[in-house]
Amino acid sequence: MWATNLKILGIVLGTLALYTLIANGIPQVESEVPQELSFTGEVSAAELVAAGEELYAGAGGCTACHGLGTRAPNLLIDAGGQGAIGARCGQRVEGESCKEYLYQSMTEPSAFVVEGFQPIMPDIRRTLSEVQIWAMIAYLQSLGGEVTVTVGDVATAQSAGEGETAAAGSGVTIVATTDPLELLREMQCLACHMLGDEGAQVGPPLAGVGGRLTADQIRESILDPNAVLAGGYEQFGGMMPANFGQRLTAEQLEVIVSYLGSQQ
Amino acid sequence: MSRRLTAASLGAVALGLLLAQSGFAQEAGIATREYGDFPYIGSRVAVWIAAQVHLMFAAFVLGVPMFAMVAEAIGIFGGDERYDRLAKEFTRLLLIAYSATAIWGAVLLFFLTTLYPRFWAHLSEIFEVSMWIYVGLFFLESFTLYLYYYGWDRWKKGTAKYAHWGLAILLNVWGTAVMFIADSWLSYMMSPPEVIAADPSPGVVQLWSAINNATWMPINIHRFIANIVFGGSVVAAYAAYRFLAAKSDEERAHYDWMGYVGNFIAIGALIILPFAGYYLGREIYEYNQQMGITMMGGFMSWLWIIQAFLIGVLFLAGNYYLWVGMTRIPGAERFLPYTKWMLVVLVIGVIVWATPHTMIANRAELEAMGGSHHPFLGVLGVMSAKNTAVNLMILTTFLSFLMYRRANKQPVVKWAKTGTIVQAALFTLSAVIVLFYGVYGYFVTAIVRIGFSVYQVLAVLATIITVMVLDVLMLRGAESRGAIRWGNMPARSQYALFVLVVTFTWLMGLMGFARSGIRQHWHVWEVMRDTSQWAATPALGPAAQVISACVLIFLVLIAFIFWLGGLVEKPQLVPEQPAAEASGK
Repeated sequence: MWATNLKILGIVLGTLALYTLIANGIPQVESEVPQELSFTGEVSAAELVAAGEELYAGAGGCTACHGLGTRAPNLLIDAGGQGAIGARCGQRVEGESCKEYLYQSMTEPSAFVVEGFQPIMPDIRRTLSEVQIWAMIAYLQSLGGEVTVTVGDVATAQSAGEGETAAAGSGVTIVATTDPLELLREMQCLACHMLGDEGAQVGPPLAGVGGRLTADQIRESILDPNAVLAGGYEQFGGMMPANFGQRLTAEQLEVIVSYLGSQQ
Repeated sequence: MSRRLTAASLGAVALGLLLAQSGFAQEAGIATREYGDFPYIGSRVAVWIAAQVHLMFAAFVLGVPMFAMVAEAIGIFGGDERYDRLAKEFTRLLLIAYSATAIWGAVLLFFLTTLYPRFWAHLSEIFEVSMWIYVGLFFLESFTLYLYYYGWDRWKKGTAKYAHWGLAILLNVWGTAVMFIADSWLSYMMSPPEVIAADPSPGVVQLWSAINNATWMPINIHRFIANIVFGGSVVAAYAAYRFLAAKSDEERAHYDWMGYVGNFIAIGALIILPFAGYYLGREIYEYNQQMGITMMGGFMSWLWIIQAFLIGVLFLAGNYYLWVGMTRIPGAERFLPYTKWMLVVLVIGVIVWATPHTMIANRAELEAMGGSHHPFLGVLGVMSAKNTAVNLMILTTFLSFLMYRRANKQPVVKWAKTGTIVQAALFTLSAVIVLFYGVYGYFVTAIVRIGFSVYQVLAVLATIITVMVLDVLMLRGAESRGAIRWGNMPARSQYALFVLVVTFTWLMGLMGFARSGIRQHWHVWEVMRDTSQWAATPALGPAAQVISACVLIFLVLIAFIFWLGGLVEKPQLVPEQPAAEASGK
């Protein structure tokens, strides 16, 4: 029986060793925690690029989509003979410099969506700070282009960061205004919804929403956007951020609900 | 028995005490520290091991009562006493494993309260009522189990036997309810209700909305089926050991049969498990696209290649066991020449399924590949090819089972020949549908291609159901080509059952890592951030080491428990009955 026991032990340990070896043999990718960046004095472009690269490949979570080229454009390789993202970013949107385009892509991702891709990217400010975003832009510019992110950009972001209230534990920012239109802009609602001549036609238009929905339904759509999806927009389910309950105060929420309710 | 009771109740009592202590601490205004530190391995790994081993035992003690209930029912209504004895032996294994489950539950609880006190305070404040109910149900489940097992021989005749079977149903009801409650806690961590405040203020969360979160029911269903798979594989491995250690032909025949039943249950439930997994995955995507993308294409993208390899091993070992088993069935020799071709289909299927495609790559790797995809594998590893491969593997496994089932039977119904032709036509048709959509998928856009997988799955499911119904009808009153020679199995077939149990257990650990890991550095997704030094989610290599350690701990303990069980009572062997011989059950 000892021989049988040893055989069983060998099979068990051998199988475990095989699986462990295979898992250790493949590329190792760790999910890192985004570390807050703080630069003092004369931060160099190289420092910004290095910090941005670390964020891009790790804690920023960018490679989940941009590392493949199927869900979102692969930023590291050539596209259409235009080179990597640093080379092509200045030609994407007329009138926008590379730096402006990249900043807008991260903070208002639905403002310009590359042809052939869906508007699935979240506002990166949900997870990264302004300083981290500028470091990332510097890195992306370095991929075939010139780094134009300046100390001034970073310093402005750092000072703005000090003035904002970071919601505990979430990394999201809270704004102070109670002007409904300003709130809609600040919360990036118009990145997907049209209101008058402003906004984009990704989600349902806000014009006339007061005639279509009750105040309770509008409130639910803001706080729990996937609870009921508007007809014809089901394919965008899951796209709208579900954290407005964190980002808006009760007063701000009611101001928006009341304002949208008046849009007959 | 009293010792067992004490051990089994330990977890529940510990939970109650800790809840009471937690409430007292909050009332008294005692400041709670953020994190504790566990020596050598760190807090994350300590909680990980405790949770995973607890879960493995829990899956076993929840899965086994389900088929103990079914086996006892077959014994009662089918008149085959072997199944009644089998159910009792399953339950005997359950008894001590239940104590181990409770002990590991207590370990997990103590680790959580000492190593993650702030997080535990958050969780217990929201779920306190459900935790009290959990404790109550745990007691009910424990005592129902003891009543069920110790009342077996007392209530074995007439109406009392039906009442005894009622206890089996009750045991499963309690067990499922306990699992549903525990699932609500962990699924809340993944998908908290979307109206929750950022500042962890559990007071604003309604208990029911926290329980009924987006991934709760998909996880319940997935675990329900996975528990059956897991329980079946552990029982099969137990039977394999007893088979190898058997001292008489009678004993060998009994454990050969028991191993077959355990493996049949495991593989049967495994076939439907991917559909429950698909449902869970879809709900994760619907809850939060970012989380879904992290799971399938982010830092976890390589995990699915490992998963494909493991499932490939399961398919190969499961089919191998069936093919070797056919050598002890008179009449099976007519099917054996086909097995080599089935092996070819399975091996090619595994290779295709495990081909990497959309993987995260760094700049150097992208440059080496000359693009975002490998120049050769980029074409072979697409979803169209993988879906085709896995569906053909499921069809092949079903064919193996069908051949095993029909091996010693000679149908007597007049339409037997027509029925067999229809069955073959259905197999061919579904294989053609699967292949057609697999090839067509290369010529359409990704969004259309994804929809094709539904047609492929439906074709395979429809074939499995229709062919099975036809088979059952066709084999009514079938003549026997000879009794199955239970016990006449080569030892290598039993070793395949050990490979199966290790692989199932490892796969369970891997999927547990996937489910928990997609939260990344959040205790509660986008609500409570993990700010400890252990917040980073490890890569697959270190994760695999923890998973292997958990599997080893579980297997060593369960082997010890089964050995203990053997000291207490020897199972009564019931000779096979002629009716069962003919049907080959």
